[in-house]
Amino acid sequence: MTRAVRKHVWVLSLAVLLALLLAATKIIQPSFGASGLESVARAALPFAFATAGMAVVVIVGGIDLSVASMMAVCAVTAAVLMERMAGVPALFIVLAAGLLMGAINGALIVLTRVPDIVVTLAMLFVWEGAALLILETPGGAVADWLEAGIRGSFPFDGLPKALLVTVICVALVWVPVRRAKLGLSIYAVGSDERAAFRSGVSVGWTKVAAYGICGLFCAFGGLSLAALTGIGEPVPGPYLLASVAAVVLGGVVLGGGKGGLLGPIIAVFILRIIRTILTLLAVDPNVTTIIEGTIMVAVVMLGTAVTRRRASQ
Amino acid sequence: MKNLIYGAATISIAASLASASLADGHNSFTIGVSNTVQGNGWREQMICAMRAQALVEGEVANLIVAHRNTDSAGQLEDINNLIEAGVDAIVLNPSNPDALNSALEAAMAQDIVVVAVDAAVTAEGAYILSNNQEEYAYLGAKWLFEQLGGSGDVVYMRGIAGVSADTDRDNGFKRALAEFPDINVVHEVFTGWQQDQGKQQMFDFLATGIPFDGVWTSGIDNVIVDAFVESGAGLVPIVGADNAGFVQYLTEVEGLKGAAVTNPGSVGGAGIALAVDILNGEAPDSTTVLVDPVLWENGTDAGRATIMAAQNPNLDPEWPVSVTVPGWTDYTMEQIIACEGPGDV
Repeated sequence: MTRAVRKHVWVLSLAVLLALLLAATKIIQPSFGASGLESVARAALPFAFATAGMAVVVIVGGIDLSVASMMAVCAVTAAVLMERMAGVPALFIVLAAGLLMGAINGALIVLTRVPDIVVTLAMLFVWEGAALLILETPGGAVADWLEAGIRGSFPFDGLPKALLVTVICVALVWVPVRRAKLGLSIYAVGSDERAAFRSGVSVGWTKVAAYGICGLFCAFGGLSLAALTGIGEPVPGPYLLASVAAVVLGGVVLGGGKGGLLGPIIAVFILRIIRTILTLLAVDPNVTTIIEGTIMVAVVMLGTAVTRRRASQ
Repeated sequence: MKNLIYGAATISIAASLASASLADGHNSFTIGVSNTVQGNGWREQMICAMRAQALVEGEVANLIVAHRNTDSAGQLEDINNLIEAGVDAIVLNPSNPDALNSALEAAMAQDIVVVAVDAAVTAEGAYILSNNQEEYAYLGAKWLFEQLGGSGDVVYMRGIAGVSADTDRDNGFKRALAEFPDINVVHEVFTGWQQDQGKQQMFDFLATGIPFDGVWTSGIDNVIVDAFVESGAGLVPIVGADNAGFVQYLTEVEGLKGAAVTNPGSVGGAGIALAVDILNGEAPDSTTVLVDPVLWENGTDAGRATIMAAQNPNLDPEWPVSVTVPGWTDYTMEQIIACEGPGDV
């Protein structure tokens, strides 16, 4: 086994698991094809962005409980703005709003020294209220090109546009960060804050930046919600716990400093395809959530056991 | 090795679940259900009515139920999954009238019948089946005004401003009011469909001392009876919904003259029946179908008998008491309580 494979064994295992699940889906429902892949990729969009955002703050050693609320703010902002102005400037305003909200979360954590979980729990309610202030009941409108941008396949049948959008948006934000000093600082602060500080890393700014990136991803998530539904919904969806689950399943250590974004995003697709399979099999809906949770715990436990055994060898 | 374990685990889960979902074969239709509120009595009754009706229809081989707490994006995911599952019809309680159109249009493009129950969708060609809320208010208000002999003062306790069900009910109430010119509304108030709020409002009305002869409520009903009893005021005729608590009061509270108007969650069962009719080529003329409510009064022997028959100790106390929709559903009370669909039995 080469070093690269050894280093990315978790991500590779997840990719294999995803491939197996896709194969299982095809066996259960032989007609599952391009349109099926598209609906899975579309369903995964908001989860993927919430998870990418959550992964960045978990890597820096924090957690952001307000991701779903920030997504709601961004979705209603997009829907309200796009009803009144051109789509492209509205899009950039929404991205800026997301970045700002995330940076506010980070700044509050750094300045007040109150634990991340407490600050972001409070901000969960603040952003939720803000979303309701912007739009009291579901409504607004979304630019046609935004809705069309995640529907169908491109450039060939079988490669969903939604998947392409996910990969491009995440890479556009994360690859430059990861290659810059900031990326290194995020991992350093997550591994050991004191050691990072002593090595000359600006811990405060790194945290603010990480939370800002999380907010930016939440803006992409909110935009994808608006693009999916064609309206803005002020009440946050089930993205908080789902993103934490995907981050853990994706191999990011909850204490910080370890993991990447690829694993969690593959994990998002695994969780979505499991739901598709359970729907195809007409499993009792009350049992569905139990199965989803059990699979998640089982995979993480198996992974931990394998990693431990390798470490002890 | 790890991959092997994953594979084996996946296949074994898939196999064990697949065997459970295999259908009899002599039936033909597969119907998908999508709902986004879990744990609410009205919605749980809706789901059980769907299962029970699918079972008695005979032609439904399989009912796939996607029933969880989620947002519109989640409902889109569920509807798309149901399309992938190859269903013949989708019966849904929509989270929003506009948000689901992309998936519903995709479904209809594949000749899948779409029936929205309880609330409307704006997708062209989708059938909408809901309780007739205007008739709900008209029926109760007319009964109340007749009890008062066509003249008197009434309290009008509404739901939530701006919600379509409240607006429809207001139209029905106003229609009845127009037929009885000597009836005056002395207090009009929004309860927010909150028990405690409605009760406090009634306490306030009783405290002001302005007399009134009857109360119409939009379903916040048993606490209004409580307010009368607790404040020692003489009871007046009260109109409520078929909530378990109020229906029980109609049989138990001394001196209470009242009526319950049905607003059944079992309209979900009617949705399944409509979907099967459409699949059999018996589509209704209009895409909007309204289910008319029924009024149960405790003043007549027939009404009392209906109320007594509706009360079943096995019924979930959170459910509306009316478990069937006359003219639409065919299951028995035992079948809806069992909550089993085709493939479950």
